Amino acid sequence: MTASEAVIKTTAAKNIGSSFASHWLLRHWALEIFALFAGAVIWESLGWGLGLQWLPPFSQVIVALFQFVASGVILSNLQSSLMSLIVGFALSLIFGLVLGALMGRYRIVEKAFDVYVHALFVCPSILFAPIFFAIFGLSDASRVAIIFVYSTFVIVINTATAIRTVDPSLVEMAYSFGCRERQIFTRILLPASLPLVFAGIRLGMGRAVKGMINGEMLIAFVGLGALAQKYGAQFDAARVFAIAMVVLIIGLVGNAIVQTLEHRLTRWAD
Amino acid sequence: MKTLARDWGPRLAVLATAVALWEYFLSRSQNFLLPTFAHIATGLFHLIFLEPRFWEALYISNQALIFGYAVAVVIGIPLGLMAARLPWMDRLLNPYFAVLLVMPVAPLIPIVIIALGLGLAARVFIVVSFALVFITINTRAGVRSIEPTLIEMAKSFGATESQIWRRIIVPGALPAIFVGLRIGLGRAITGMVMVELILVASGLGRLLLEFSGRMQSDMVFATVLAVIIEALALLSVMQILERKIAPWAPDISIG
Amino acid sequence: MIQVKNLTKEFGRIDNGGGVLALSDIDFQVRDNEFVTVIGPSGCGKTTLLRIIAGLIPYQHGEVSIDSHPVVGPGPERAVVFQNFALLPWTDVLGNVTFGLDVRGATKSDSQAKAKELIKLVGLEGFEQRLPKELSGGMQQRVGLARALAVSPRILLMDEPFGALDEQTRRLLQEQLLQLWERERKTVVFITHSMEEAVMLGDRVMLMTPRPGKVKEMIDIPLKRPRPPDIEKSPAFVEIKEYLWENLRAMQTHQS
Repeated sequence: MTASEAVIKTTAAKNIGSSFASHWLLRHWALEIFALFAGAVIWESLGWGLGLQWLPPFSQVIVALFQFVASGVILSNLQSSLMSLIVGFALSLIFGLVLGALMGRYRIVEKAFDVYVHALFVCPSILFAPIFFAIFGLSDASRVAIIFVYSTFVIVINTATAIRTVDPSLVEMAYSFGCRERQIFTRILLPASLPLVFAGIRLGMGRAVKGMINGEMLIAFVGLGALAQKYGAQFDAARVFAIAMVVLIIGLVGNAIVQTLEHRLTRWAD
Repeated sequence: MKTLARDWGPRLAVLATAVALWEYFLSRSQNFLLPTFAHIATGLFHLIFLEPRFWEALYISNQALIFGYAVAVVIGIPLGLMAARLPWMDRLLNPYFAVLLVMPVAPLIPIVIIALGLGLAARVFIVVSFALVFITINTRAGVRSIEPTLIEMAKSFGATESQIWRRIIVPGALPAIFVGLRIGLGRAITGMVMVELILVASGLGRLLLEFSGRMQSDMVFATVLAVIIEALALLSVMQILERKIAPWAPDISIG
Repeated sequence: MIQVKNLTKEFGRIDNGGGVLALSDIDFQVRDNEFVTVIGPSGCGKTTLLRIIAGLIPYQHGEVSIDSHPVVGPGPERAVVFQNFALLPWTDVLGNVTFGLDVRGATKSDSQAKAKELIKLVGLEGFEQRLPKELSGGMQQRVGLARALAVSPRILLMDEPFGALDEQTRRLLQEQLLQLWERERKTVVFITHSMEEAVMLGDRVMLMTPRPGKVKEMIDIPLKRPRPPDIEKSPAFVEIKEYLWENLRAMQTHQS
């Protein structure tokens, strides 16, 4: 089930009536929930049974996770990580949406930038980490720059496609009623492109989180990545898994937030 | 000829502006180690033509890439095909795909090292774990995108399961599979780079560490640029292959 | 009054060997309050002609003017109804009908009042809050019609407005359009593929030939207004319709 299918199914569930919804959801996703549960059980038994240093039982990972949260270690590292994440993602949103919109609307802008945007999009963004480290050193700017490179280009491409694929007859209709360029942008292009733009923003957010963690792993920042490095060096697998889970949860929560927002704003799209 | 100029004019203008901005930033910065555009260019030239250790490092690093990518493809495509055709398997695997899509592999690299050591095995494993999910998911999406009426039609003519696979499913899913292969390649390259930079094994990572230790930032930039060029070259080859084999592929992808 | 003189329209550059001559030397007039239907085979440029009159695309040679003012772009005295409805999917019926008024800066209360009036007129009362995707094709086009009427145009330009609808819906909407037109006789230029529709609706039919688009003939339709029921069975109606068909068929066979 893809994310969009999941959204459609949840919408259908709403129509049936919210009292049914939770039963319905449970019934339809029972197999998936079972799969995750089974995985946890298998992990647990292998962890105890095999006694490998790198495969602690699942329960130990959960314990480590709670310990982290309780001791506030996660929170303080998370704070510094999140700050860079927010700044980096905000910058990439602004830059990405603007450049994407210009590229979508004006062919000459598209022609000028498309080669670079495409190259930077397909090229592994982590390659820029050494470069940013050389420029900014061990500072937050490096982290922000890496996050920026990770998430901007998927936003640019999605936004450009979104604007370019707006139904041209809507633009013509607006023109026939006397709309000028700015009105066409605000009344037609903006709302029509929202679904695809949101898709890009969601992808960008996922990329930003990856950029945050990858950047931190490489360059010894304070932050979750550095924490993972530290415990890795100590061979504390349980704690490393726990950190990975924290990052996973951040990613999922962020995704859910954007998806709710998206669903509110694009109820008209199918 | 005129259209060539019209296309490349703005592009070169953007490049020139970028270089100009870089030089301006350089002149204002306190960091004396940052290389100018000219330095980078000469560094790159030196690296490619005059530095045998570069090619040695490239060879070592790319071993992980090639083996890892091959393994990811060999496992990923059949897995994706099966997941698409067997609904129970699909639903069991789906939550894991969803998790693996969002979860970054990088924090788990230390664990892989604990398990597999610092050798080629660990590097290959990491490359596989970067690339596998994307190949599988796109393959699965490719099979699911085939119109069910086509399969119905084939069945109505008495086609066997293997005939349906050969004549309808595989060709129909081919465009999406190729998209998955292309994205998977990008991810595999990312994995290789992450491995190099975190493990600082015997390949490019080691070279980069040496250069940065000796404050040769122009060589650092040049090395990174060289790897970027390699990545873009590989991906372009993949894209050309994609267009040759599946020219009707639309431009959608997952990941 | 719409006046078109020696209109020629090219797409692309003909001198370079590429390009298409869409319209050549078009000459005709539409009088005020007249309902003119335009019919012709595919490729005769009728949609292009309408777009030029609407001010949506430019033209190379000739004169197109409304009451002696040359057409240089869209204007408040003209409104277009589109074949594929062109409704904003993210706005409800009310918002769609007020679109033209909002764009021109009308106050919310004014435009909504006018819109509600028109929504009632086209028979969609009660559907104000619905989204386009919740409406049938016929209903969507009625929204498109209401939207066009909301800006009080003197001239209605209709580009095969019922072409995307099934026959039953089409006939209902034709009746409704005629009723609306009898109330307030705007100048209408109506493009159609259907001979029956052309004769049913128009005071005159403009018959066009393709490649390049030219006006073959302007045919008067001396049928009674308002159109009585079963008019399409009357001998006069059938005669004009058959005349159109003879001509159109000749054009088709001439091409193949």
